[in-house]
Amino acid sequence: MTVVQTTPSGGAPFKPQGGRQTNSLLMLRRNVGEWVGWAWAAFAFLGLALIMVLILAWVCQTGLGALKPAVFTEPSSKGNGGLLNAIEGTLVISLGALLIATPFGMAAGIYASEFKTTIWASVIRFLSDILVGVPSIVMGYVGYVIMVVTLGWKQSVLAACVTLGVISLPYVCRTTELALRQVPMNLREAGFAIGGGDATVILRVVLPSALPGVMTGILLALSISVGETAPLIYTAGYSNYMWDGKLFNSPIGYLTGAIWNLYNDQTTPGAAQLAYAAAFLVTMLVLGINIIARVILRGQQAARA
Amino acid sequence: MAGILRRVFAFRTWLAIAGGVLPVSLVIIFGFLVIYAWPAIGFNGLDFLTQNGWDPGDNYSSPVMLRGVMASPGAHFGVLFLIVGTLCSVILAVAIAYPFGVAAAVFLAEIVPGAIRSFVSFFVELLAAVPSVVFGLWGIGVISAFPDKAGVTAFQHVCNWIVATPPFEWIPFVGGDPGNGYGLLAAGVILAFMIVPLITSTVRDALIAQPAALREASVALGARRFETIVKVLLPSVRPVTIGATILATGRALGETMAVLMVCGNALGVLPKNLFAPISTMASFIASQLDSAGADTSGLVVKSLAEVAIILGLMSLVVNTGARVLLAMQTASQRERT
Amino acid sequence: MPKKFTHLRATALALGASALLAGVAFADPVRLLESGSSLLFPMFQNQWVPGYNKAHPDVVISPQAGGSGKGIADAIAGIVQIGGSDAYLSDPQVAQNPGLLSIPLAVSSQTVDFNIPGWNAAKRMVLSGPVLAGIYQGTIRNWNDPAIARLNPGVALPANPIVPIRRSDGSGDTFIFTQFLAASAGPAWTLHYGTTINWTAVPGEVGAQGNPGMVSTAGSVPYSIAYIGISSRAAARTARLHEVALINQAGKAVIDSPQTTAAAVAATAAKTPADERTSLIFGPGADSYPIINYEYAIAKQAQPSPDVAAQLKGFLTWVISPAGGNAPAMLDAASFGPLPAAVRAKSVAQINSIH
Repeated sequence: MTVVQTTPSGGAPFKPQGGRQTNSLLMLRRNVGEWVGWAWAAFAFLGLALIMVLILAWVCQTGLGALKPAVFTEPSSKGNGGLLNAIEGTLVISLGALLIATPFGMAAGIYASEFKTTIWASVIRFLSDILVGVPSIVMGYVGYVIMVVTLGWKQSVLAACVTLGVISLPYVCRTTELALRQVPMNLREAGFAIGGGDATVILRVVLPSALPGVMTGILLALSISVGETAPLIYTAGYSNYMWDGKLFNSPIGYLTGAIWNLYNDQTTPGAAQLAYAAAFLVTMLVLGINIIARVILRGQQAARA
Repeated sequence: MAGILRRVFAFRTWLAIAGGVLPVSLVIIFGFLVIYAWPAIGFNGLDFLTQNGWDPGDNYSSPVMLRGVMASPGAHFGVLFLIVGTLCSVILAVAIAYPFGVAAAVFLAEIVPGAIRSFVSFFVELLAAVPSVVFGLWGIGVISAFPDKAGVTAFQHVCNWIVATPPFEWIPFVGGDPGNGYGLLAAGVILAFMIVPLITSTVRDALIAQPAALREASVALGARRFETIVKVLLPSVRPVTIGATILATGRALGETMAVLMVCGNALGVLPKNLFAPISTMASFIASQLDSAGADTSGLVVKSLAEVAIILGLMSLVVNTGARVLLAMQTASQRERT
Repeated sequence: MPKKFTHLRATALALGASALLAGVAFADPVRLLESGSSLLFPMFQNQWVPGYNKAHPDVVISPQAGGSGKGIADAIAGIVQIGGSDAYLSDPQVAQNPGLLSIPLAVSSQTVDFNIPGWNAAKRMVLSGPVLAGIYQGTIRNWNDPAIARLNPGVALPANPIVPIRRSDGSGDTFIFTQFLAASAGPAWTLHYGTTINWTAVPGEVGAQGNPGMVSTAGSVPYSIAYIGISSRAAARTARLHEVALINQAGKAVIDSPQTTAAAVAATAAKTPADERTSLIFGPGADSYPIINYEYAIAKQAQPSPDVAAQLKGFLTWVISPAGGNAPAMLDAASFGPLPAAVRAKSVAQINSIH
């Protein structure tokens, strides 16, 4: 089989005869641009990864160096003691905030998704989007002036939980609404068809099948509560002692507050070490919650697929 | 019990009432802030936004009637430095985070193979979860790391070098006084680290979600891989990119603790260059609120409420703008497919 | 009912029950809260609270720093029982909060520290109130300014600009420092005195939070000057800061020492009124150190419960007693001085009015 030569002159390889395509300067620019682009992308990514590794490594290095058994068994009040009061306080405040955010946030999310054509649902959705954007220090300010000073609760667990609860409300609402939206309509129709009312269909049919998504939202709210500092400084104060069980008029310690108070304390020996230990603990706690939330979400996606 | 509840109200009504806590609390927050700050808004007037200088007045002299309110003599509040500090730090943070975030997202979406990609993206998203105060502690650690014999830290050496070296020392906002490490640069960089994961993960998801047909068409026209990304894919996800960046801006506006620890806490001065100390609205409220109650006229607390209102309104505008943009994007995409 | 919900219901009930029980089961110890002055905080944290707990282990006293402004604000709002403050209450504050007491607990002082790299510790730096007023208002810019050179003849001063460091929180240290500037410089100090003032925007001026912040900032900024409470002296020395000899009312340059502060107390304590709100700054006497002050506990006369009042009175009485908190061994740890006997009697009278 003969090869048909399409070039008029012999020897030169075939090049398409369009105008700008043959401009070798353009080809050079395209090649260089390709390399520069990938180099930039790689550089940016490596820079980001490097920062991440640096921060996590620093947290682990300073934190692990400061971790000793006393950190988990003694409160800060015992001399140069530990962080037991801060750990207990973080758990108490976060769970308290969840107790407030979960029922009301879920109710709002359920209403916004199941009755989505009503005006109230649009109001909920719109104001929820606005509430998400309110900075936490503004919430802390309002909580301080209303609850701590005016209502006379002083720095207390209740003021802290209400403030954090309101901060977490829109997250729970949004994730609940999104999770419920994923549930196919025919499930609801089947529920209504066999005679269920609103309550039965929502609580026993729709919600259970959207549970992983809702759990993710609740865990997201938990991780936000654990990591918050500014509103807590004003509503919960800070205490080196274990929680005395009172909801009013009694400040409480928490890990992020431990970092804030201790890093600046030159007089108590070992204070800086405790601050690093607290930073390590709170970072691991937040990362752990996020990992669990992701595992739940992945499980749901796998189940659905 | 459920039967009794059902007889009082339908389930739907209970749900509406319980769900109403969310909108009602937002109304309470903003309503309270405006009502509480009203005397200070009247006292401060428009000068609040255009003047510098936070002066609670002479608290140890008798109060006098100033502009219709019993105030300490000489009381005058102007927060221009806070507005400028907030805007400068946020703009610097976004200016750093946007190119890095988008480039990293491109790398993650296009180069990193699928299995590793979810692992790595997972790590990037974890960075977004690190609490603000831990970022601040790390920032302080970096700024004060490696002091030499005279006590000058490595970071300070870098700042001194930048300010003295030819190309940089002539750039208007860069040359000049190298400061002491705590200032606009530190705050902006830390904020950038905090918001980069938001931009990266959103843009990465959007890039992956682009239909294969778009890529194939571009390659069929002879484009190289990176050209496809820059000229076809990135423009098609531009609303998402911009929306994510604006949402990240909203987050940066509200950051308190990390900024408070590294910004240098300026009072009443505008930053002269990148290394000058600043104060942001959020960090200022956090540092002044606990001593505000000592002012007998109440104007300090109420002026802080005014600052909180301004901050809240800024975040509101930014977040709503982002959501409108993202809604437009999803609407136009729905039309396309 | 679906299995998931039975478990949820049981867990919720268990949590609620345990929370209730926890609230009931805890005994209700009286808790005294203190917040405020970072000058006073080391005394509370390391000496007074542990010392008092040795004899009274069941009383829980929780101190916190944050600045005297915070101490006063918290005491006014009732958030704490003891507001630690280097500043006494102002007349408007007393007028608005009748029954709010300013109770001196000890005598403290403040040093002005500077960081000049390579400074010979044997040399003395002499500064006066008017010169410091000029530094903090930006009229005196460099270390080798003629006004400073005049006070330090024969001393080689660097030509670098001075970096003034001031407190950014509501601070009792700011209060006593600005009182010194107002008393010694007179009309040359154009700003008034107080816990929060509108500092002049001197180029390069830096803000710091708390006494620890002042120490670490001054330590890391060369050619800086800062006012630091005496209880942070050890940290300041570790940060290689040097103390200034201040010119007192008699015109002599004195360094902060137990002798000079005692001389100042002897010269000024007599004018302390019954409500004990008085300034000891810039007093007469050839050997008097100019910046000394009472450390105050700001407390409400009317406490919410008799238990709290009793515990509060017990603690405060112990703190001012020469065998308890005012013992030399305790006060020396922070370089504080004891209350003179006449002032102690007045403090006792104020403490006894708490109910």
